[in-house]
Amino acid sequence: MADFEEQQNLLEEDDESSSGERGSASGADRQMSAICDPSRALHRVVVLTFMCFLGFGSYFCYDNPAALQTQVIQDLNLNTAKFMQLYAWYSWPNVVLCFFGGFLLDRVFGIRLGTIIFSLFVCVGQVIFAAGAWLDLFWLMEVGRFVFGIGGESLAVAQNTYAVNWFKGKELNLVFGLQLSMARLGSTVNMNIMGWVYNKVAAAVGSPGYYTLGASLMIAAVTCVFSLICALVLGFLDKRAERILHKEQGKTGEVIKLTDVKDFPLTLWLIFIICVGYYVAIFPFIGLGQVFFIEKFNFSPAEARAVNSIVYIISAPASPVLGFMVDKTGRNVVWVITAVVATLAAHVMLAFTFWNPWIAMSLLGVSYSLLACALWPMVAFVVPEHQLGTAYGFMQSIQNLGLALIAMAAGAILDSRGYLVLEVFFCACICIALIAVVMLYFVDYVKGGDLNQSAAARAKVQKEATSDAEAKRRPSKQTQGDLARLAPMSAFSLRNRYLSRLGAQDTS
Amino acid sequence: MAPAVTMRSNRVFVVLLVLLFSFCQSFVGGTKEYQRKLIVSVNPNATTLPPGGDLLHVRAVGNDDTLHFLFCSQGAPTLLIVHTNSSTSSVQVNWPQFLSRNVSGGLRVEPQSSIQYSIAVVFSRLLEYDDVNDTAKPDSGFFPPYELQNFKWTRLQLFGAAALVCGKTPEFVNGSLCLKLSVFDSDGRAESWPRLLHSPNSSQLEVWLDGITTQAPNSRFLLELQAVGGDFPLSRVDVRQFIDDEFTPSIFKVSEWVSPAAGGSDVLGYVQWKPVAYRQSSPALEDATPCRYSDPQSQDANATAASSALIRAFFSAHNVTGLNVSFGLAGEPFYNSTKFLSWTVLVGVGAPPVDTFSPIVLTIMAVGLGIPVILLLLGGVFVCIHKRRQGATAAYQSIN
Repeated sequence: MADFEEQQNLLEEDDESSSGERGSASGADRQMSAICDPSRALHRVVVLTFMCFLGFGSYFCYDNPAALQTQVIQDLNLNTAKFMQLYAWYSWPNVVLCFFGGFLLDRVFGIRLGTIIFSLFVCVGQVIFAAGAWLDLFWLMEVGRFVFGIGGESLAVAQNTYAVNWFKGKELNLVFGLQLSMARLGSTVNMNIMGWVYNKVAAAVGSPGYYTLGASLMIAAVTCVFSLICALVLGFLDKRAERILHKEQGKTGEVIKLTDVKDFPLTLWLIFIICVGYYVAIFPFIGLGQVFFIEKFNFSPAEARAVNSIVYIISAPASPVLGFMVDKTGRNVVWVITAVVATLAAHVMLAFTFWNPWIAMSLLGVSYSLLACALWPMVAFVVPEHQLGTAYGFMQSIQNLGLALIAMAAGAILDSRGYLVLEVFFCACICIALIAVVMLYFVDYVKGGDLNQSAAARAKVQKEATSDAEAKRRPSKQTQGDLARLAPMSAFSLRNRYLSRLGAQDTS
Repeated sequence: MAPAVTMRSNRVFVVLLVLLFSFCQSFVGGTKEYQRKLIVSVNPNATTLPPGGDLLHVRAVGNDDTLHFLFCSQGAPTLLIVHTNSSTSSVQVNWPQFLSRNVSGGLRVEPQSSIQYSIAVVFSRLLEYDDVNDTAKPDSGFFPPYELQNFKWTRLQLFGAAALVCGKTPEFVNGSLCLKLSVFDSDGRAESWPRLLHSPNSSQLEVWLDGITTQAPNSRFLLELQAVGGDFPLSRVDVRQFIDDEFTPSIFKVSEWVSPAAGGSDVLGYVQWKPVAYRQSSPALEDATPCRYSDPQSQDANATAASSALIRAFFSAHNVTGLNVSFGLAGEPFYNSTKFLSWTVLVGVGAPPVDTFSPIVLTIMAVGLGIPVILLLLGGVFVCIHKRRQGATAAYQSIN
C-alpha cells in the first residue's frame, strides 16, 4: 500500500502540498509516504528543489539592467553613468547588511520568517523597479534596486542556512553545488532571454519605449514571485518537519564582533585588497559588456548577450571541479596568482586586440571560478574560528562598497573616454590585486608559508597538532589559528568553509 | 613552483617592454612638428560681392610647397584642395568667367606646372526617405531629393581659419543645412566629437542638419558626396580598425575614401570619416548614431561641373565618383527625435593621419604592469637573502 502511494506521489510531484496535508491530517501515528516524511530522502529532494529555486528569482533579476542595457539607456534617456547607478544602489545596502544578515536570521526573525521577509523584499524591489520604468521615473527605479539589494544578499545566506539544516556531511557538497548552479542558471537565462522578451513586448505594444521596458521588467518580476512562493512553501515544510522530527530551527551560527577588526593580520588585509581589486573588474565589466561586444567586435545583440553570459555558464561546472582541485593540491596563493594573471591577460586581450572575444571571456570565466575557489578559503587559514564571521562579513562589506563605487566610476569613464580607457582602468584594478597577491606571497613566505602549503603538508600539520608531537614543531609555526581550527564547526562556518570553495559568497 | 613564477614574470616583462617601446616611439615621432602658415582671403580680387555665394581661399604655405584650400557655395558647396610644389604659387580668379559657369578656366593656380595633385569634394544632394518599418534600408520611400545647388546660401562667416556657411530651402521651413570648414596649420585634434586627428595637410568639414521639418515622422537622411580626383579618382573606401576609442567613445573604425596612386599602395588624397553622426550639438555618448556608406560609383562629370562653379572653373577634364552616406540603423531614433544631425569629414592630400595611443593609456599600463614585476624582483632578492641568512643560522641549530 505504501509502495503504491509512493509511486503515485512520485508521478505527481506538484501535489506535494496536498499529500503533505494528507500526511499531517492523521498525525505522526500514520505511516507517511516517502514523499511526505521529512526524514526520508525523497521528501528532502522535494525540499531541495524548492531551496534551489528560492534564489533563482534574485539572480535572474540582478542582471536585468545588463541584459537590457541599450533599451534602458534609450527608453529612459540615460547616460552610462546613471545606468550604472542601478548596480551601485544594489550594493549600497549590502555594505552594512553583510554584518547583520546572520544576526537578523538567528535572533530577530528566525530562518523561516526571515527567508520569507527577504524574498518579499526581492519581489517588492523588482516590482518597484519595473514600476519606475513604466512611469519613466528613474529615482523610483533606484529605490527599487535598493530594496531589491536588501533582500538579495541576505536571501543567499538564508538559502545556505536551510541547506545546512536539512543536509549533512557529503550531501552538503552536492546541495551547495546545485544551489550554485541554479544561481548561475538564473543569471545565464536572464542574459539570453530578456532581450527576446523585450522584443516580443515591443511587438505587442507597438513600439519600444518605457512602457515596453516596464512591462518586460514586470514579466521578470514573475520569477521573484515564484521565488516568494518557494520561500512560503519552504517555511511551511520546515515548520512541519520541526514538528514531526522535533528538531529546532536552523541557525546561521554567525557571530560578528566588530572589535575583532583590530586583530586582523596583514595577510587578511591583503586578501581584502585582492578581493576588491579583482571583483570590481568583473561585475561592472559584465554590466557594460553587451554594448562593448556590439560596438567593438560587431556582434549582433543576441550574440553579444551570449558571450557576456559565458562567464556564468562556465562558472557553474567549473567551480566544483576547480574547488576539488584546489582542495587536493593546496598552495592557494599560487592559484590566486594564476587566476589574477589570467584575468589580466583576458582584459588585455579584450582591450588591445580584436581577437575573438569568446576566447577572452572563457578565460575570464575559468579564472573567476578559480579565484573564488582559492581566495575565500584563505580567510579561514589566517583568522581564528571565532573571528571568521567578522572576517567574512567585512570582506563582503568592502567588496560591495568597492562594487558600488567602481560601478559608478565605470559608467562615468565610459561616457567621457570610451571603452579602451575603461578596459585599461579595469586592468589597473587587477594590477592592484596582482600587487597585493605578490606581496601576500612574500609576506606569507617570510611568516612561515601557512597559506601556500600543499594540501598534504596542511593535513600533516593538522595531524601533528592533534598528537603529542606538538613540542617537536618549530615555535614560529604554532599560531592561534592552528589550535582554533580544531574546534567543532558551527553551521555558519560549515557553510562558509564549503561555500568559500565554490565561491558562492560573491554577489550574484 | 619558482620557475613557474619566473616564467610568468618573463611574459609580463615582454609585454611591458613592447608597451614602453611604443610609448617611446610615439614620443619621438611627435617631436617632428610640421607647421604651415595660413593666409585667408574671401573673394580674392573681386570688385563686387558675388551673388549667390562666396569663395574662400586659404593659402597654407609650407617650407617648399603650398596647399590651396578653396571653398565655394556657388551652386553645390565644394571644397577644392590643390597641392603645388612651390611656396609662391597663387590663385587667379577670372570673376566674370567664374560666375558665368559656362567654361572652365575661371580659376587658375599659377604656375600651372607646379600643380602636383588636386582633390575636390562636392556636397551634391540630400536625400530623405520614409523608414516606415524602422529597417534603415534606403531602398524605397524616397521623397524628392534636395539639390544643394538650388539652396539659398548665406554669406561666409569667418572665425580665424574656419568658415561657416548655411543653406536653406523652402521645404525645410525653418531648418538649415550648415557646413563649417576648418583649415589647420599644425597637427592636432578637434575639440568636439568625433575629435578627428588632423594634420597641416588636411581640412575638416562639419555638416549639420538643424531644425529641418521632415516630410514624414519616421524620416532618415542620406547625404550624397561627389569627389573629383583629377587623374586619380577616389575609387575605393578603406575601413581601418583600431583599438583606441578614447577620442570617439565606442567607435573603433575609420573609413577612408582614397585615391590610390597608379599601381601602388600609396595614397594621394583622401576623404576620411568615422562612421558616427551625432544627434545633439554638444553630444554625449548616447547621442551617437551609426552611419554607413555605399560603394563609390562613377558619376556624370558634366552634371557635376554644371552643379558646382568651382568644379567648372578649375577642372577641364576630370573623373567623378560619388557615394551616399546614410545615417541611422534599425532601432536607432529618427531625425525627428532631436531634429539635429551632425557629421564630420576630413579631406586632405597625402596619406591620412593615423591615430596613436594617448600617453595616459600607456602610462597606466606601464605602471600597472611594472610595479608587480618590480615587486617580484625585489621580493625574490629579499627571499634569497632571507634564505641565505636562515641557512647560516641553521648550521648552529643542527649542532645542538
